Amino acid sequence: MIPGIRTMVIEAGVIFAIGVVLGLSFNAQLVLDAFAGRLSSAVAPSSGGEAVQSSTLEFQAFPLPVVLEEVRELMAEGSLAVDARATEVYGEGHLPKAFAFPLGEYDQVLPEFLEKVSKESTLILYCSGFGCPDSFDLGERLLAEGYLDVRVYEGGFPEWRDAGLPVEEGAP
Amino acid sequence: MSRPMRYFYHFCRLLLGGVYLYAGVVKSADVVVFARDVANYQLLPYAWNYLTAATLPYVETVAALLLLCNRKVRPAALVLTSLTLVFMVALTTVLARGLDIDCGCFNPGQGHTSAGVALLRDAFLLIPAFVTLRLSGRMSKP
Repeated sequence: MIPGIRTMVIEAGVIFAIGVVLGLSFNAQLVLDAFAGRLSSAVAPSSGGEAVQSSTLEFQAFPLPVVLEEVRELMAEGSLAVDARATEVYGEGHLPKAFAFPLGEYDQVLPEFLEKVSKESTLILYCSGFGCPDSFDLGERLLAEGYLDVRVYEGGFPEWRDAGLPVEEGAP
Repeated sequence: MSRPMRYFYHFCRLLLGGVYLYAGVVKSADVVVFARDVANYQLLPYAWNYLTAATLPYVETVAALLLLCNRKVRPAALVLTSLTLVFMVALTTVLARGLDIDCGCFNPGQGHTSAGVALLRDAFLLIPAFVTLRLSGRMSKP
């Protein structure tokens, strides 16, 4: 390698390393918690408290996004679909065996959900497709409740239906 | 180097530094939300999204500050050019997989910039990046 270029590459590596070290020094606890699987929603929206950023608090985890193909595989393996839309919309069509959990009725539905669904279950949350935030918001709340594997299917019911996959109708 | 070229070089250096300084500062302000944006790309294992979100904004900020201060311009430009190329590869995979996600380029968790628009913006950003990288070597020569 030409000496000038080698020097430049080495210096670029040093700049990169300084950035990484700085980032880790400011966010060490977050990264350690992420790799240790200790992330939780101590400051989740359902707590009613303001989100506080502090290295002494646990950091909020977020639901992992999944795409249609993964949803099909997870459903085949027995994962539970959770519908975050309103009950009337759920009745018009939903994913097979989906649990109706309208975000607007969170406090009313939660006790039944906690009773029926194990915290080790893999949950696939969905709502009305891209641009619909309810499934993500519900996912953050369920993580706060201690559910360990919460995923959000952003394509939601419209994508599932349009892919010609089985749909169930009827109230929960 | 002619005077217009010198002005053009400094314009490109400051533009590149300014854009990346802004991007780095706003992303480092909310690392958890930025981690969610990184996770939306579905390219990394869960914990690595946090590691990337925790470090990437600081790499951008350090390199951008060097550009703005006119120090170590070539290596700093190399870092930012490389990052821009990596972002373009990631955005291309988003387009190829048909994902409709926010690029997470600037304000994490706010707004929605599609992968296509972000890819075009990064392609535009490559111009000042390459100009800075190329001309900085000549600037240091008498």
